[in-house]
Amino acid sequence: MSERTTPGSAPSTSLGDSLAGGWDDRGDELPPTDWGRRTGSRRTGTVWLFALFITAMAFGHAWLSDELTGQAFLAWATIFTAISFQAMPFLVFGVALSAALVAFVPTSVYRRFIPDDPRKAVPVAGASGALLPGCECASVPIAGSLIKRGVAPAAALTFLLAAPSINPIVMIATAVAFAGQPEMVLARFAASLLASVVIGWVWVRFGRTDWLRLPSRTHTPGASKWRVFRESMLHDIMHAGGYLVVGALAAATLNVMVPREWLLAVAEAPLVSVLVLALLAIVLSICSEADAFVAVSLTDFSPTAKLAFMVIGPIVDLKLIAMQAGVFGWRFVARFAPLCLVIGLLSTFLIGAILL
Amino acid sequence: MNRIAQGLTLVLLGAAALTSTIPTDLYLNWVKAGFGPFLIGAGVVMVVLGVLVIAAELRGEQQALDEEDVVPAVATAGEPGHVGDHVDASTHREEHGEGHGHDHSRAPRVAWLLLLPVLAVFVVAPPALGSYTVESTGGSSGPPPRDERGPSKFNDALAEAGPGEVVELAIQEFVMRAWIDEERELADREVELTGFAVPTEDGQGWYLARLQMACCAADAVVNKVLITDQPAPETDSWWRVRGTWVEPEGELDEVSQHELAVLEMEEVVNPPDPYE
Repeated sequence: MSERTTPGSAPSTSLGDSLAGGWDDRGDELPPTDWGRRTGSRRTGTVWLFALFITAMAFGHAWLSDELTGQAFLAWATIFTAISFQAMPFLVFGVALSAALVAFVPTSVYRRFIPDDPRKAVPVAGASGALLPGCECASVPIAGSLIKRGVAPAAALTFLLAAPSINPIVMIATAVAFAGQPEMVLARFAASLLASVVIGWVWVRFGRTDWLRLPSRTHTPGASKWRVFRESMLHDIMHAGGYLVVGALAAATLNVMVPREWLLAVAEAPLVSVLVLALLAIVLSICSEADAFVAVSLTDFSPTAKLAFMVIGPIVDLKLIAMQAGVFGWRFVARFAPLCLVIGLLSTFLIGAILL
Repeated sequence: MNRIAQGLTLVLLGAAALTSTIPTDLYLNWVKAGFGPFLIGAGVVMVVLGVLVIAAELRGEQQALDEEDVVPAVATAGEPGHVGDHVDASTHREEHGEGHGHDHSRAPRVAWLLLLPVLAVFVVAPPALGSYTVESTGGSSGPPPRDERGPSKFNDALAEAGPGEVVELAIQEFVMRAWIDEERELADREVELTGFAVPTEDGQGWYLARLQMACCAADAVVNKVLITDQPAPETDSWWRVRGTWVEPEGELDEVSQHELAVLEMEEVVNPPDPYE
């Protein structure tokens, strides 16, 4: 079945890529004096390309929709669409908030609220993560704009980790899912906050600024705030959104391909089961507001393993890795994701031993 | 990806979000009903933003911004590495293999992937998860967690219904009761369940199943009840079944699956929300 979709989907995107690439190259060869003309022809080309794409979709809708009956393909498509659409409001909300931070809040405000010393700023950022409701898709662009506004990277990263892990909605969802087990809610809060703050401190000590790739968007000083807001939103949606789709593709594929029985087979082993659920959290990329409900359904696993699922999920998962790569670059992700995984697991084992 | 393309992509994406929420109920196949208003909001924001970007580009505003942008960016780039980027933007772009670099008017090529959800909505229009997911999830998910709550722990319809009444339960509520209610209040009660038909692996009977969703289809959990005293209907057809719980012998949490003895069943058109 998937072969049948390729004519519809793959060519449109790869065609777009190759055409856009073509324009890129041509653009670089042309002298700057020709820019005006190049922009004009490129615009027309783009409009034609999209007209073609929409026409192709109309034909696809008319002829292809009823032909697509492969059960596995449809399940995959459903999960892909579900992850994309579930994240979309959070992405738009997060991007709007981060653009508002860039455009409307003067830098001095941050200076007043966040301590200059990064070591002190990290716990403050961790605690303030408990205030902002949203899932991980929202927090990546926000953390990016915090760094751009002069907040210490370590503090912004702590916020990035804490906000999706311990915000009020997530805590309520966990309490609802684990009704009658308040120690699970407490353990989640403690383990996630501990992991976020420790990761922040590790970053203060060992992190290097040049691992982070942040576009220095010092737009024209004269540009209106609304224009800065618009440009900032567009930039973040294009970067974080594209990678969100990559993450959704990977998560949907693994979600459909990896049989759950494999997981249940290892549920008995104490240490391995924790690692397996941590891995599952990375692979499934479930929104942090929903992961408690999934964790509670994994009944064969120990409480510590479930805790690992809920601690690791919001700080490392495929969707998040792809989005962080979009905003901060791969050099950053290659160091940050393993760090989060290791410290998240250590924190899980520690808090799990104490509370569960 | 140039700015016109970015704007058009946003408009299409917003249109996909709006199409699946306002004129149709497609979004219920993928996410919880509570997401509806947020999806509409996100869709409106994306369409408006896309239109604004295209309008600004057509007015030629961007060219001015492009030229201004290069100068202050070089001047203010204090961090190492940034000066070089801007001095030779073309080599920078080649190094990274994508049109991103620090040229702010362009988006990375990965942004083209934002058209995939658009394609998914308009061409594939993915249906709700169904029998395939139930079958591939394989064996039973086992009993739900047992916790030490009082007898009032169930706030389903059965707790409120008087004796002898037919109680309408979600399949999730039914299996929860069946597995963890040590009082066995479910015994000898007539219940009404709604779900879709799924064949069993060994052909002995069939399942009445429904997926339970916390947030989106990626976290869907299978709930199913075995039925053996009726011939299996067509896979994925929806049924409202009235019957009683076949009370197992022995410990409840050692039962691998729960069975329903059917009194009456009627086919239903797909319920508006396919998930529990």
